[in-house]
Amino acid sequence: MKTRIILITAFLFPFFIISCDKDGDTTPPNINLISPAEGEFLEIGNEDGIHFEAEFSDDEMLASYKIEIHNNFNDHGHEHSKAEESTTPFFYQNSWDISGSRNTTIHHREIIIPENATPGNYHLLLYCTDAAGNESYVARNIILSQNEDEEHIH
Amino acid sequence: MQIRIIPGMVVMFVLCSGSGLYAQEPDSIKLEELDAIAVTASFTHKEILSSPLVVDVADKAFIREYFTGNLVQTLEHIPGLRSMDIGSGFSKPVIRGMGFNRIAVLENGIKQEGQQWGADHGLEIDAFNAERVVIRKGPSSLMYGSDAMGGTIEIMQLPAPVDDGFFGEVVLFGKSVNGTVAGSLMLGLKKKQWYTKVRYSEQRFGDYRIPTDTVVYLTQKLPIHNKKLKNTAGFERDASLYAEYRNNGYYMSYFVSNAYQKTGFFPGAHGIPDASRLEPDGSSRNIELPYSTVNHFKATTRQQYSWETITASLDLGFQNNRRNEMSEFHTHYGKQTRPEKDPDKELFFSLNTFSASAKVRYFGSETLEYTAGSDFQYQHNDIGGYSFLLPEFERTTAGVFWITTWRVTDRFTATGGIRYDHGRQEISPFRDAYLVDYLKQNGYGEEAISAYEWRSYEVRRNFGDISGALGFVWNIERGHLLKINIGRSFRLPGANELAANGVHHGTFRHEQGDPSLKSERGWQLDVGYSYEREWLSASLSPFVSRYNNYIYLKPTGEWSVLPHAGQIYRYTGAEAIFAGAEFVLGVELPYGFSYSFSGEYIYNRNLDEKIPLAFSSPALMRNTLSWSAKDIKVHLELESIARQTRVARNESPTAGANLVHAGASLNIPVKQNQVELTFLCRNLLDKKYYNHLSFYRHVEIPEPGRNFQLLIKVPFKTK
Repeated sequence: MKTRIILITAFLFPFFIISCDKDGDTTPPNINLISPAEGEFLEIGNEDGIHFEAEFSDDEMLASYKIEIHNNFNDHGHEHSKAEESTTPFFYQNSWDISGSRNTTIHHREIIIPENATPGNYHLLLYCTDAAGNESYVARNIILSQNEDEEHIH
Repeated sequence: MQIRIIPGMVVMFVLCSGSGLYAQEPDSIKLEELDAIAVTASFTHKEILSSPLVVDVADKAFIREYFTGNLVQTLEHIPGLRSMDIGSGFSKPVIRGMGFNRIAVLENGIKQEGQQWGADHGLEIDAFNAERVVIRKGPSSLMYGSDAMGGTIEIMQLPAPVDDGFFGEVVLFGKSVNGTVAGSLMLGLKKKQWYTKVRYSEQRFGDYRIPTDTVVYLTQKLPIHNKKLKNTAGFERDASLYAEYRNNGYYMSYFVSNAYQKTGFFPGAHGIPDASRLEPDGSSRNIELPYSTVNHFKATTRQQYSWETITASLDLGFQNNRRNEMSEFHTHYGKQTRPEKDPDKELFFSLNTFSASAKVRYFGSETLEYTAGSDFQYQHNDIGGYSFLLPEFERTTAGVFWITTWRVTDRFTATGGIRYDHGRQEISPFRDAYLVDYLKQNGYGEEAISAYEWRSYEVRRNFGDISGALGFVWNIERGHLLKINIGRSFRLPGANELAANGVHHGTFRHEQGDPSLKSERGWQLDVGYSYEREWLSASLSPFVSRYNNYIYLKPTGEWSVLPHAGQIYRYTGAEAIFAGAEFVLGVELPYGFSYSFSGEYIYNRNLDEKIPLAFSSPALMRNTLSWSAKDIKVHLELESIARQTRVARNESPTAGANLVHAGASLNIPVKQNQVELTFLCRNLLDKKYYNHLSFYRHVEIPEPGRNFQLLIKVPFKTK
C-alpha cells in the first residue's frame, strides 16, 4: 500500500510544481493626459513652452514617463511648400523619473517648439512604465502652427 | 489498481534515472500505409495505436466537415490545436500553447520552412491539397530535431487508388464573410506502378466583415465603414504535382508545389491609427498598400527500398520562401530618400532551405525493431527593402538518432530513442546609416549611437543538443488504451532572438536580441488514456512540461531612443512551465443522434517573473449535437471560449464568448460517384468577440462576423 501511494505521488508529482506562489505585477499604469488636448493647435516659437499636464497612477509603483513628438506629414500626401523648405520637422523626445510613488500629477512647460519648426500635423506620444516594466501609452494628434488661433492649415 | 501502478513506475523510473532518454513515434505507420494499397479507416487506428505520443488524425471526412479554405482554421476543431489568425485569410497553428518555431509543419516528410518566427505570417500550404493531417501533440525533437518541441502537424497524401484509371475532382467553395470565391481542380492517373496527381487551386476574397462599426484603439475611435475591415482582401493561387512509382521493394515519389498569397493589411493596424486612412476606397475587393505577397516553392523527393528485414529511405527537399511587405515609403529618419526601384518595398526576405534525411529500419526479430537516421538542413536568408527587420543569416543543422521499438506483448509496446544535433548559426551584421545620422541630428552622443546603430549584431554560434524520448502504448483490454511518453526536446534560438535590435514594424516594440542565448530546452510528460465502447468514447490527455530556457520578450524598463518605441524588450530565457489537458467525450444517442463534448485547458507560467507567458490560449469547450442518416449529416455546435486574464506584461486580457455554429453535409450519388455538398455557418448569432491569439487584437479588432459557406466537391473517374 505504501509503495502504491509513493508511486501515485510520483505520477502526480509534475502537477504539484504548478502550485502557485504570489503572482508578479501585470497591471499597467494609468495615464490621464490633460494637456495638450486632442487636435490642439500649438504655437511655434512660443518661449513659454507647451503646457503639459498629466496624471499617472499604478497599483504598485510608478517608474518613468516619456514624451515623444514627431511629425505626421505623410498622412495626406502633404506636399512641402517653399516656405517649409527653410524649416525643420520638429522632433522631441525626453523621459523623466517618477519612481517612488503610486500616483502623481505632472505639470511643466519644458517642451519649447523652436522658431524653425515646420508647421503641420504631429503626433504626441506619452508613455509610462511601472517598476515591473508594465507600460501604457496614449497617442494624440496635435497641430503646430505659427499662429495659435489659426483654424486650419494649408 | 494495476493501471495506476504501472504509469507510476515508468514515471518514477524516468524521474530517478534522470537520463536524457525520450520516446517517439517510430514512423512505422507510414511504411505500413505504403505497403497496403487500399485505404481503410483502420489507418487512423494504427496511427493512434503505434505512437506513444498523443496523436489526432484529421481524415478526409473531418477536413470536409470543417473546411474553411484555410488549413489551420479547419484543424482548430482538434482539441489542443488553435489558430493564430492574421485577418480572415491566413493563420498559423498553435499546439498546446506552443506556436511559431516551437512546432513543425511537415508536408510529405519535409519540414515546411517559411517565416514562422513572425506573428503576421501565415502557413503557405494549399488547404485543398491536404487530404489527411496527422497531429502529434508533445515533444517531437527525436524525429524532427530543432523546432518540433511542441508537436508536429504532418500533411500526407492519400495512398494511390487500387484500380488503374483516370480520376479527379472539381471543388467549388464560397464564403459570405469576405466574399470568398474559390475553386480547385485535381486530376490523377493511376497506371500499373505509376501514380500521378496534379492540383490547381485559386481563392479570391474581399475585405471581411466584423460585427461592429467602430473600433476604439488608444482612446481613438476609428470608424469601420460598412462594417468591413478595409484592405483585408486577398488572393491565393496554388499548384502542385505529385508522382510516385513502385516496383517490388522499390518506391519513389516526387512532389513539387508552389503557393502564392497576396493579402492586404488593415491600414489602421500599421502605424498610429488615423481615421482618414480608413475612408472607404470604393471597392471591397481591391488590395492597396500596405500589403504582403509571399511565394513558397517546394520540391521534394523520396527514394526507398525494402529488403526482407531492412527498409532504407532517403528524403531530399528544396524550398524557397519569398516574402515582400509593401507599404508606402515612410521613414523616421529625415535623410533617407525614397528608393528609385521598388519605392514601396518595405521588407523583403528570401529564405532558401535544403533538407536531406536518411533512415534505415531494421526488423531484428518479431518483437524488436530499430530505426537509425540522420537529418541535415541548410538555410540561407537574403533580405531587401527600405526598412529592416530580420538580418541575413545562414543556419546549418545536422542530427543523428536511434530509436528502438520493443513489442513486449501483443498489447504492450515500448519505444525509446536518443538523438544528437549540431547547429551552426551565422548572422550578418546590419548597420543603419540613416539611423546614425538621425541620432547625431537629435544630439545623441557616441555612446547612444554605438548602442543603436547595429540593427543586427554579428553572431557566429555553434549549438549542440541532445534530445530523446521514452514511452509506451498499452492496450490494456478491449476498449482501454493508455499511453505515456516523456520526452526531451530543444529549439535553436532564431536570428531575431539572437541579433535583432530595433522597432518591429508589426508590434511597434523595440525588440533586442541577445547573441549569447542558449538553446531552448524542455522536458515534457504526456499521458493519454482513451476508452471506447459501441456507443461511447472518451479520452483524457493531460501533459506537463518544464523549460529551462524558454525564450520570451522581456520588458526591460529602459526607454528606447528610437522614434515610435516605448521601452526596450529583450529576448531573455526563463524557467517556464506548461500544463494542461484535453478531454473528449462522444455518445451515440438513439434515432441517429449523437453528442460530443471536447474541452481543453492550458496553464503556463514564467517561473522567473512569477507571471503568465504571452499568447496563452484560453480554455475552450465545444458541445456538439449531430444527427446523421444514410447520405446526410447535420450538426449544431456551441463553442464556449473562456476569458483569458492570465496575461504577460503589456498584453491585455481577452473576454470570453459563446458562439453557435451549424453545419450540414449531403452526398448525392451521380452514376458511380458521390457529389459532396457541405454547408457551414460560423458564428450564427453574429457575436462580436476577440481571439486572444490574433495579430489584429492589439488594435482591438474583433473576429469575423456571421459566415455562411458552401463547399461542393464533384469527384469523377473513368476506367
